[in-house]
Amino acid sequence: MNETKKWILHRISAIVLAPLFFWVYFSLISLSTKNYQEAIYFFKTPLYSILTIILFFIGFFHVKISLSEIFEDYIHNKKIKNVANILALILSIIIPTLTLILLIYKI
Amino acid sequence: MKDNQNPLSPHLQIYRWHISSLLSITHRISGIINLFSFILIFFWVLILSLGENNYELFLLFINSFVGKFILVGFTWSMSFHILSGIRHLVWDMGYGFEIKTANISGIIVIISSLISTTIFWLFGRGLI
Repeated sequence: MNETKKWILHRISAIVLAPLFFWVYFSLISLSTKNYQEAIYFFKTPLYSILTIILFFIGFFHVKISLSEIFEDYIHNKKIKNVANILALILSIIIPTLTLILLIYKI
Repeated sequence: MKDNQNPLSPHLQIYRWHISSLLSITHRISGIINLFSFILIFFWVLILSLGENNYELFLLFINSFVGKFILVGFTWSMSFHILSGIRHLVWDMGYGFEIKTANISGIIVIISSLISTTIFWLFGRGLI
């Protein structure tokens, strides 16, 4: 991916994430006052489940680009920078995928 | 180019602090904190999938002082990062670069992140 495309996609993902993040925090604070059944009911609702999955995939896409930018500024050693980027990539694929599996098959 | 050990771009230890630089680094730090809040949401879903007993324990933790502190902190970090992000988007469109405007928008971001955290908490917990 070239840098201009990365820059634009970073901004677009930010715009999508802002309302999703507000929504998920409002929901979590509210869920913290409710019991197990209500939490299960919340995550079983198709709309909420889909929104959570979208939040994770787009969120970790945003995280990956941001982390690479931070590594670029603070990590001097090229080899360490590459390893850090690969670790960030693995993290940003594994966590959304696990969340997807949990929400679809385990809840 | 020769690889040397000169400090790279954000010279945090060298420049004098301004609202602009404070917000710039806080934007990054809050972004990292938001990564941890993703991890928290992931654990939330994971523990939920492990059954009622585990979830009840998790609820006890999240409603303890430490748990509430973490949740409030993450809410603030999320609000701040989004509001500061909007400020960055406005810059990307080419507006708001004058020093006075940038300082005022910075102060607005700080104050409104605190207000929105309070509103989230009051409404979310059903206190209003």
